[in-house]
Amino acid sequence: MSGGQTIEVVVKAIEQVTPLIKHFQLASPRGEALPAFSGGSHVIVVMRGEARVHRNPYSLLSAPQNLDSYEIAVRRMDESRGGSHFMHDRLRVGSQLEIAHPVNLFGLDKIARKHLMIAGGIGITPFLAQLEDLHGGLVPYELHYSVRSAEHAAFLARLQAREQEHVHIYYDSENQVIDFEGLLSKQPLGTHVYVCGPAGFIGRVLDAARGCGWSPSHVHWEQFSAPPTGDVFQVQLARSMKKIVVPQDSTLLEAIEAAGVDVPYLCRGGVCGFCQSKVIECDGELLHYDHFLSDAEKAGGKTIMPCVSRARANHLVLDL
Amino acid sequence: MLITGIKSKPIYAPLRFDEGGRYHLMLGLGVGREPLRRVLDEVRDQQALAVARTEVLYVPAAGDTGKATDQFALPGLAAVCLFGNSNALLEDFRARLGRSLMGTRLYVAGPESFIGMAMKVALDFNLNKDEIRAEECGTLARRVRCIHCRAITEDVKTNIAQCIGCGLWLLVRDHYSRRLAAYMGVMADAEAPGELPEIREVFL
Repeated sequence: MSGGQTIEVVVKAIEQVTPLIKHFQLASPRGEALPAFSGGSHVIVVMRGEARVHRNPYSLLSAPQNLDSYEIAVRRMDESRGGSHFMHDRLRVGSQLEIAHPVNLFGLDKIARKHLMIAGGIGITPFLAQLEDLHGGLVPYELHYSVRSAEHAAFLARLQAREQEHVHIYYDSENQVIDFEGLLSKQPLGTHVYVCGPAGFIGRVLDAARGCGWSPSHVHWEQFSAPPTGDVFQVQLARSMKKIVVPQDSTLLEAIEAAGVDVPYLCRGGVCGFCQSKVIECDGELLHYDHFLSDAEKAGGKTIMPCVSRARANHLVLDL
Repeated sequence: MLITGIKSKPIYAPLRFDEGGRYHLMLGLGVGREPLRRVLDEVRDQQALAVARTEVLYVPAAGDTGKATDQFALPGLAAVCLFGNSNALLEDFRARLGRSLMGTRLYVAGPESFIGMAMKVALDFNLNKDEIRAEECGTLARRVRCIHCRAITEDVKTNIAQCIGCGLWLLVRDHYSRRLAAYMGVMADAEAPGELPEIREVFL
């Protein structure tokens, strides 16, 4: 959580696993065990660049049983706000980093009768840890992984080491696509579906699940996309009596943090609801980009998720 | 000791059809027939596909000898099955859930003890709250679990009841277990043996 303790780690190994994805192994500089986590957890990596501090969430993909090191994978984004480029270009073996304690917003349902995992591209990462978390394989599972081509498929060897009937890989380069409707329309009662990948990919799975009559409590998704950029705007923080400017490529949360005010957060992706902040005054429009608030709450204009949302207003006052 | 105002006491609502579901499984006991008929009226207004994906399992009240087709007069239903008692219905229900697919919605209408037993089976198949709708009708008699000897006493109508297992007099609380489909009963005269509150019929 923000403001709380972070964990110091050192980069133990870096591997370029696909043309776009680098794999990092992080360990305690003193060789201590890292905090325990469960499959599906992520950590926020704090990157202190020259111009600004980035805090990006990355799924832990190592086995939860192994606390000697954490593993994360970072895809180099074309239009990076700086985080993925920092990870790719600046880190060397031996570099020091700070990370927040692991948080799980994408864990496996403990009483599911079957797990159906669907990954698109870099969205494979949380599943690698979840696969290690299947409690001896008593609950049936299937993983369907859609990826550009074999060259771009990260961690193929790890996946192919598992039983063939559980893992299905689809290559865009060979026009193989996952038939979401077909898959979701024939699952036994008590199945939970988990999806991670690009926004459009997740959207198609959610639509197919709804179309097949799935109830929301059986559908789980996670997406770490870069928060949207937008026009510069000003915000007043009532309690800390500060007036700050949110730059184009910085989030409201980052700007608030840069001004030295701490807001509790967990996911930094508009999902968990932790950084929800009260809007005291707003003479314009709040631009809600989160997946947490209901439509009514968004329309109500009394609350905002500063990790992803912005405003188009001359006068915005938050209760912070 | 807290007897009422306990959060675990289930709250029921009138049955409504859930358009979000793909398959619909309806269970009823005795007077539960009326809510089921009401939902079937809603199903009738849906596409024929919804009717063909709806199954009804029902235990008629004693002396009710109407035919299955008369009970639920909606042509095209996937199944209408009548049972002689709730145990037979629940056994069939369990087998059906084992063959069912995601997208199934459950509707239950009848006394709370029947709803509770059906929910208990549904729980084994990881059906969640957003997949189950239940309407309570008929007797309010409770299944009571003795917290001392763990026996279940059926059909309890009074605030204080004697445990069928150990014979203790139990005070029936609103504390409900979904896993056991029963209310908790605790020894009523533990502090002053033999001194019982007035016994009244409260669950009718």
